Amino acid sequence: MAFGKFLLRGLWSKKARSIGLTLAIAFAVMTVVTLEVTSSGLEQAAAAVITVGKADFTVAQKGTSDLLSSSVDHSELERLRAVPGVKQAIGVLVATERINAANPVFIEIGINPADLAGFGVTVVAGHPFAPTATDQVMLGWRAAANLGLKVGDRFHADGTWNTITGIYSTGNSFGDAAAMFPLPAVQGYNRLPGIVTLAFVKVDPGANVTAVARRVDHELPELTTIRTASQFGRADRNLVYLRAAVTGSTILAVAIGAVIVGNTMLLSLFERTRELGLLRAVGWTRRRVVGLLVGESLVLAIIGAGVGVGLSFGVTAVLERLPALTGILHANYTTGAFIRALATAVAMTILGSLYPSVRAALLVPLRALSYD
Amino acid sequence: MPSGSADAAAGPGGPRPPAVELRDVVKAYDQGFRALDGVDLRIERGEFVAINGPSGCGKSTMLHLVAALDTPTAGAVLVDGSDLRTVADLSAYRRNHVGLVFQLHNLLAHQPVLANVELVMFGTPRNAHERRERALDLLGQVDLAGREHRLPGQLSGGERQRVAIARALANDPELLLADEPTGSLDSVSAGHVLELFQAVHAGGVTVLLVTHDHGIAAAADRIIEMRDGRIVDGAPGGGAADAVPAVGPA
Repeated sequence: MAFGKFLLRGLWSKKARSIGLTLAIAFAVMTVVTLEVTSSGLEQAAAAVITVGKADFTVAQKGTSDLLSSSVDHSELERLRAVPGVKQAIGVLVATERINAANPVFIEIGINPADLAGFGVTVVAGHPFAPTATDQVMLGWRAAANLGLKVGDRFHADGTWNTITGIYSTGNSFGDAAAMFPLPAVQGYNRLPGIVTLAFVKVDPGANVTAVARRVDHELPELTTIRTASQFGRADRNLVYLRAAVTGSTILAVAIGAVIVGNTMLLSLFERTRELGLLRAVGWTRRRVVGLLVGESLVLAIIGAGVGVGLSFGVTAVLERLPALTGILHANYTTGAFIRALATAVAMTILGSLYPSVRAALLVPLRALSYD
Repeated sequence: MPSGSADAAAGPGGPRPPAVELRDVVKAYDQGFRALDGVDLRIERGEFVAINGPSGCGKSTMLHLVAALDTPTAGAVLVDGSDLRTVADLSAYRRNHVGLVFQLHNLLAHQPVLANVELVMFGTPRNAHERRERALDLLGQVDLAGREHRLPGQLSGGERQRVAIARALANDPELLLADEPTGSLDSVSAGHVLELFQAVHAGGVTVLLVTHDHGIAAAADRIIEMRDGRIVDGAPGGGAADAVPAVGPA
């Protein structure tokens, strides 16, 4: 018989304990994975805004609590355009509005029609809105499909009924699920005259993007450049807080899980004192006894991690369907989430089995054999 | 053979040391009670020795010291010429040099008979296949062929003790230590178990059997009588090892 089979038979013989321990690990893993994938989903959705414009990098106000609160005024936009190496800087105002229950955070982008091509927008039906119109809108093709609207229909947003002048495509799922308005109209509705949220920058052909971005950071210290989603926290502090909360929750879940695992293993140790004493008496080394206990825990950890991930799929599916979270919460299952699940399960198991394993290793065979 | 400091008598070319030797061994407990009080004992290789005496006379304590399950308060326990205090790896000593049989057999209730025999072979050079073959062979020798997949709870007391004997023999020990192995058995089962011990002895294994039953002790080559932590007599027994087939080493 292989040692692994011996170990598994031991686990199988204590079904209630094994199932209890697996569930404890699974719930901790479920918590960690659910937090991870939902926060990752939120992060992805939030960061998606910077990928709409076909830009080399995006510029926003530094250190705002929320990227959509970023405020870049006209003079800053002009200074940005004057930075050597900057070929084009398109300012857009991004806002959100509740359209209906299925679209609680519908994205609205204010942009000058002259900038549409530079922003990577292709009008696939109808025509662009007029630069100063206050009742015209273009819908991304995904938004139009979702809302069941077409060119010529009326769409209520920004406090008024707007005529859909065109349907556009950006090649970006986030941008294609949004609506575009004339910039002054959105600025007026949001009482932000002369303000844009983000500037989408393209550099001169042949220019070094990183060098230009550094130059912008240097010359406009009140602004920050964002090239990737991972740099999103430079402008959006909420994301930083969200990541910190997820990390804190993970540590807490591991700690609670480790205590449960440790407690269960300690009880099991008392229950198995005679068995472990016998194994020591017939020549098992301390290392082998510890290997048996830690091995059993690791098997349960791996099963618990699998069950936890499965539970997480179920929980996030339910959360995504809750009326309060529909359209806001999107689970983003990444390889990192699965690695985190396994790491969480193994970490809590190793931590939890540390003390019981040491106790087991220190068992005096003769005393253990007479333990009652 | 345990690795440790060998006795001078065990030098190259010299006579081989005794299988077990106790030199003025004392085992005292915190309350001052002396379970062993200056015991000297020499057991030669291949002997079948029974330690007899009333409960509390120190016979099990002596066995535990020889099995390295406990340490003496004073004196020395030498096995095959090596002082157990100097043996670095007592786990290896227990695993490879001695076989242990307990009164209550101490089988793992959740593991089948086969696994109960195999478990002492983890950590030895035998691979999984060899462990299985060795365990099946031993179970056959103790008349338990065909019951290897049963749980201990599905066997009679005598059968369980035979499993324990098979387990004790798995690593071909030079020394078989048994603590009241027939104490919880009926007379028929006890007789079978005793025959097994005699067969093991006939195979060349030194047997040290602790019992309070004079009838069982009488089967040994030598009976050592103990009282109050001391050896009071070491008379020869009526061992009949030659009458039974050998059981043990592969």
